[in-house]
Amino acid sequence: MDKERKIKILVTKVGLDGHDRGAKVISSLFKEAGMEVIYLGMYQTPEAIIKAAVDEDVDVIGVSYLSGEHLIFTPKIVEEMKKSNLDDVLLIAGGTFPAEDIPVMKEMGIDEVFGAGSLTEPIIQYIHEHVREKR
Amino acid sequence: MNKDTKHPEKDTIEVNWDDYLKAYYEKPQSAKSWSGYHLKEIYTPRDRPEENYEKDVADAGTYPFTRGIHKNMFRGRYWTKREVIGIGSPADTNERVRYLVEHGGSGLNTIADVTYEMGLDADHPWAANEVGLTGVNITSIKDMETLTKDIPLDKVSWSVITASTAASVSIAQYVSVAENNGFDLTKLRGSIQNDPIHFRYCGFRPACPLDLSIKLGSDVMEFCTRRLPQWYYTTVNMYDLREQGITAPQEVAFGFGIAMCYIDELIRRGLDIDEFAPRFTFYVSCHIDIFEEVAKIRAARRMWARLMKEKYGAKDPRSMQFRFAVHTAGCSLVPQQPLNNIVRIAYEGLAAVLGGVQSLHCCSYDEPMCLPTEKAHLQALRTQQILAYETGVTNVADPLGGSYYVEGLTDKIEEDSLKIMKQVEELGGMEEAIRTEWLDRQFEAEAVDRQKELNSSEKLVVGVNIFTSEQEKTTPLGVQRVPKQSAVQQVEDVKELKRTRNMDKLKDAIKRLRDDAEEGKNVIPPMVEATKAFGTTGELLGTVRQVFGYSYDPMEIIESPL
Repeated sequence: MDKERKIKILVTKVGLDGHDRGAKVISSLFKEAGMEVIYLGMYQTPEAIIKAAVDEDVDVIGVSYLSGEHLIFTPKIVEEMKKSNLDDVLLIAGGTFPAEDIPVMKEMGIDEVFGAGSLTEPIIQYIHEHVREKR
Repeated sequence: MNKDTKHPEKDTIEVNWDDYLKAYYEKPQSAKSWSGYHLKEIYTPRDRPEENYEKDVADAGTYPFTRGIHKNMFRGRYWTKREVIGIGSPADTNERVRYLVEHGGSGLNTIADVTYEMGLDADHPWAANEVGLTGVNITSIKDMETLTKDIPLDKVSWSVITASTAASVSIAQYVSVAENNGFDLTKLRGSIQNDPIHFRYCGFRPACPLDLSIKLGSDVMEFCTRRLPQWYYTTVNMYDLREQGITAPQEVAFGFGIAMCYIDELIRRGLDIDEFAPRFTFYVSCHIDIFEEVAKIRAARRMWARLMKEKYGAKDPRSMQFRFAVHTAGCSLVPQQPLNNIVRIAYEGLAAVLGGVQSLHCCSYDEPMCLPTEKAHLQALRTQQILAYETGVTNVADPLGGSYYVEGLTDKIEEDSLKIMKQVEELGGMEEAIRTEWLDRQFEAEAVDRQKELNSSEKLVVGVNIFTSEQEKTTPLGVQRVPKQSAVQQVEDVKELKRTRNMDKLKDAIKRLRDDAEEGKNVIPPMVEATKAFGTTGELLGTVRQVFGYSYDPMEIIESPL
C-alpha cells in the first residue's frame, strides 16, 4: 500500500444497538493516531456498511458490537464484503461478547477482535502491521 | 508489576526478587479520586471550619436530608434487592423473574429490549434480528399478560424499565393488564423509568425527539399522579449518563437538569409541586471509588432538597427527599479475569448502601460478556444478601457522616455540580444545551479522556493495564444465549394477533388516541383503551408521532396500517 496515504478506516455500529461510546472513542483516537476516519454511526445494515466502504475506498472496517448481535451480523457483513470483492480490506471488531465467541467470529471472517477493556495502542499497532499485508 | 504472568507450572515458577522488592516498597502513584479530585493526606475539622450541622447536614430524616431520607434508614426496612431482568421472550423473562424472587429478590425489575425501546413491534423488519437480545419486547397486551403471568400485581413492587417514549405504551399495557385481571390501580406499587430525554444519549434518538420526549414523559407522570398514587412515574436516569464516561459532579448536574425539564412541564400543566414531586425518583450509578460515590449521593440529596424547597417552593418534606435506585457501574467491569468483577460489584454495592440507597441492582460478573446466566444472576443477588445480612452496614444510618473527608468531598461535589448547573442555565437551560448538542460534546470529550487515562495508566484496572494475564478462552459460569426459538415464536404470535383482532374496534380506539393527541390532551387514557383493543406498541406510538409531525415508523420503513 502507498506509504504516503493515510490509513482510511470506517467505524460503525450495526443494527439497532445504541451503545456507541466505544465506537466514538476509538474513532477519536484513530484520528489522533493519524488515520482518516469515516464514522458511520448507528442503525447501519451490513449492505449500507459495505456500500460506504466501497464508496470511500477504505482500508479497514471496524464494527462495534454490544447487544449479542455479533454472531447474527458478522456473517452478513462478511458475505457483503465478498460480494463487493473487498478481500483486501481488513475487518476488525470491538465491543462486548463472550470469550467463547472470539474464535467463532474469526472463523466467520473477522481478522481480529478487540473486546471491552482493550487498550488503544495494540489496536493501532495491529492495523499498521496488517493493513499493508492486506492491500 | 506490569509483567504478564504466564500461568507457569509450579516447578517452573521463577520469581524476580527485584520486582518483589519494588512491590514491597511500592506506594500509590496517584492521590486523585476517580473524578479527578486531588486529595489531601488527611482531612481534619480545620477543613470545614464553617460547618453548620443543623443547616447543612442534619440527622437522617431531617431537611436537607444529607444523611438519608429516613430517620432510622435500614432499621425500618432493607433496601429493595432488585436485579434487572430481560431476556428472550416475555415467557423467558417471567421465568427468570420468579426464579430470583424465589431466591430472595425483593423487587421485580424487567427491562425492555432495543426493539421495544425504539417503539417497534416484534414483526418489524428491523426487529427480526434483535427481538429479546438485551431485554424483552412487549408488542401487545398479550405479551404483557405473559410477562406478568402468575404474579400478583397488587402485592409486588415492579420496576418497569422502559425509558424511551415507549414508556407511555408500557404504562398503558401494564395498567390494561392490571385492570383486565381485576387489580385495584391504587394498590399497584413500582416504577416506570420513563426518562425519554436522557435516552437520546443511549442510541434511541429516532424514538426520542425532544418535544415528544417531554410531552409523553410528562403525560405518564401526570397520569400516574392522578391514577396510580403508589407508583413512581419516572426514574431519571443519571446512571446511563455516567456510563457515557462523565464524572460524579457531572452525573448529578446533568441528571438534575433533565429532571427539571419534566418538572417545569408539569408545573406548566397546572400541577402543584407537592402533588407530584414525592413520586419523583432517580437511577444513580455507583462506580468503583467508594468514598466519592457516597459523597456524591449525599451531595445529591442535599441539592435536591434545596432545589425543591428554594426553587420550586415545595412544602411537603416528601417532595424534598431524593429517592434513588443504584445500578452498580457496568462500565467499570471488564472481560479480563472476569471473576474479579464480583469484587468490583461488591465494593460498588457497598458504596450504594453506605450512601443510603432505596433500591439496588448489583451487576452480574458476566456483564461485559453476555446477559447474565441464571447462576451469575443469583450470585449478584447473593452479593446483595451478604451485604444486607452479614456485614453490619445496615445497623447505623449514614455511617460515613461526620467523616472529615466524606463531609468535605460532599461539599466539593455539591459545589462543582452547582457550578455545572449554573453553566447549563447560562446556556439557556437544559433543553437548549440538548438542542445545541452541548451535552453531546461533554459526553464525547469525557469518554475520550477516560480511555486515555487507561492507555496512560493514569487510572489502573486490574487485568487491563496492571496484573494482566493471557486472554481467557471461556466464561467461568458459562454463557447466556438467547433462545432463537423464543424470538421466532414471538414474531409469529404478533403476526397471528394482527391477522385475527377486530379491526373496527381497533380503528375506533386509534381514532380516539389521535384526536386526544391533536387536542393536546393526555394520551395515556386513550392508549390504555387502544391496548385493550390489541393496538400494538408501534401502532400507538406511531399514531402520536404522526400528530407531532414525525414519521409513523422511527426507522422510516413501514407506513401506518390504520
